[in-house]
Amino acid sequence: MSLAAEAFVSQMAAAEPWPESATLYQPLKEDQILLSDCASSLAVQTYLRMCGLPVQVVCRANAEYMSPSGKIPFIHVGNQVVSELGPIVQFTKAKGNSLSDGLEDVQRAEMKAYMELVNNMLLTAELYIQWCDDATAAEISRPRYSSPYSWPLSNILAYQKQWEVRRKMNAVGWGGKTLEQVYEDVSQCCQALSQRLGTQPYFFNKQPTELDALVFGHLFTILTTRLTSTELAERIKSYSNLLSFCRRIEQTYFEDKSS
Amino acid sequence: MAAPDELFCWEGDWGLPSVSTDCLVVLAYAQFAGAPLKLRKMSNPWRSPSGLLPTLRINQKETLTRPSDIIIHLRKQKYNADYDLSAKEGADSLAFISLLEEKLKPALIYTFWVEPKNYVDVTRRWYADHMPFPLNFFLPGRMQRGQLEKLRLLRGDESLESGEELEKELYRDATECLNLLSQRLGSHKFFFGDSPSSLDAFVFGHLAPVLRSKLPNGKLQQHLKSLDNLSNFCSNILLLYFPRDGRESCGQKTSSPASQPDGGDFDHVPNKRRKQLLSAIVALGAMLSYALLTGMVSIQQEALEEPPDRETVVGSHGEDEDG
Repeated sequence: MSLAAEAFVSQMAAAEPWPESATLYQPLKEDQILLSDCASSLAVQTYLRMCGLPVQVVCRANAEYMSPSGKIPFIHVGNQVVSELGPIVQFTKAKGNSLSDGLEDVQRAEMKAYMELVNNMLLTAELYIQWCDDATAAEISRPRYSSPYSWPLSNILAYQKQWEVRRKMNAVGWGGKTLEQVYEDVSQCCQALSQRLGTQPYFFNKQPTELDALVFGHLFTILTTRLTSTELAERIKSYSNLLSFCRRIEQTYFEDKSS
Repeated sequence: MAAPDELFCWEGDWGLPSVSTDCLVVLAYAQFAGAPLKLRKMSNPWRSPSGLLPTLRINQKETLTRPSDIIIHLRKQKYNADYDLSAKEGADSLAFISLLEEKLKPALIYTFWVEPKNYVDVTRRWYADHMPFPLNFFLPGRMQRGQLEKLRLLRGDESLESGEELEKELYRDATECLNLLSQRLGSHKFFFGDSPSSLDAFVFGHLAPVLRSKLPNGKLQQHLKSLDNLSNFCSNILLLYFPRDGRESCGQKTSSPASQPDGGDFDHVPNKRRKQLLSAIVALGAMLSYALLTGMVSIQQEALEEPPDRETVVGSHGEDEDG
């Protein structure tokens, strides 16, 4: 999002209350969405639920092309469109809803750092497994990614996406990694998160923050998504406090609403 | 381990042990951990065994180029600067290193390689001045294209104009990251306790070039200088762990070329002379071959050869006339 637009958005945002008609767009849940997008989308949904802001989830086959930044998910609130968790957090903050206001400066610095840890390691690992592991790419990612389109466009788009992600992996230095090294990185990241969480209910004690939403989005999605190998989920399952953290958030924010 | 591992990295300037962030990270970590590396500073990436800098060569064959891989290797060799950290501190280091890579790195690439004034006046000039003769013409440009591509992929943007919007956006992320680091550091000497760890090496490697280089567009530098604890943190590490390079920069400022033959610009005067001589020879050669090919020289040759011909003709005429 451009800077001028952002300034405009935050100005407008402050003036209007959160409307009932807010919508979150993501790709088709059953046959299209991929692990990484699903995780990001769940993180935003969790964040909005934590803030107590109602949002309606809408699945669109072309969600990726509708998004202003080309990334999933994005929300449509009033006459504004905001994509990705970071800007959405900013946006809700401008509307007077913030989860991290009670934190001290050092805690806020740590929270931001851990959010980048999740983006830098978990999200990159998800992308790597989706597009750089040949078995997963052939069996899951390419067919699912291109499911709404007919041949030859489906092939073109899927390979284009795969090529782009692989180049990104090279740029961040992950191109030469083996699958085993990537799992090792995931373990390292989970180890760090598990250490940080300790025995607390949330990362910064009693109150959930956007970090909790982000971690929950990724871990829960990895745990509940079937891939060609269960290795990724197994890595997370060895940290019992992260598992109970996921269960806690699921129960608090997702189950009581459906019942 | 028979021979010590060899570390190939970019040579230093501006009072830093190396000009490249990745090399600085590795150098600082090796210093913190006390790893005995055979250091090879160079300004020609093609002389490194992998073609990239930094490179760690282990036992004369295996090579590592990513800073994190090199640090992991050193750690396995029992050179561990993070030995004293608790598990939670280890987790915090990992998190803040991610923060640096996600938020500060794109802005650093922009400052040094995309911002037109900085790139032309500082980055390209430095690399072109320091690289050996034929490489200095194309390697800086190729490095810039690589960095541009990297920035584009990191941001996931199709188009990447070096406009004000991009700059503002990147600098906003970077200043936020610097503020967060400054808050985390507080009034401590290092990030965790009294001894430096890998996080200190990463922060130092990313901040020191911004602090010490003389960039025409120094918005990031100004902001960093306003954060006293972070800039003191960098100077402290330079003073404690790289005293030689710090002194060299002082020697440069007081300019005593005789006593500092290895320091900064004076190092490159002979190189420059050789380059000047070489370019003069090349230019002369080009001029001569051009002259030869277009026939300028052959005209001269004819002019030289003809007179005797004419003389003989004239001579024969003369003989005829005589006869």
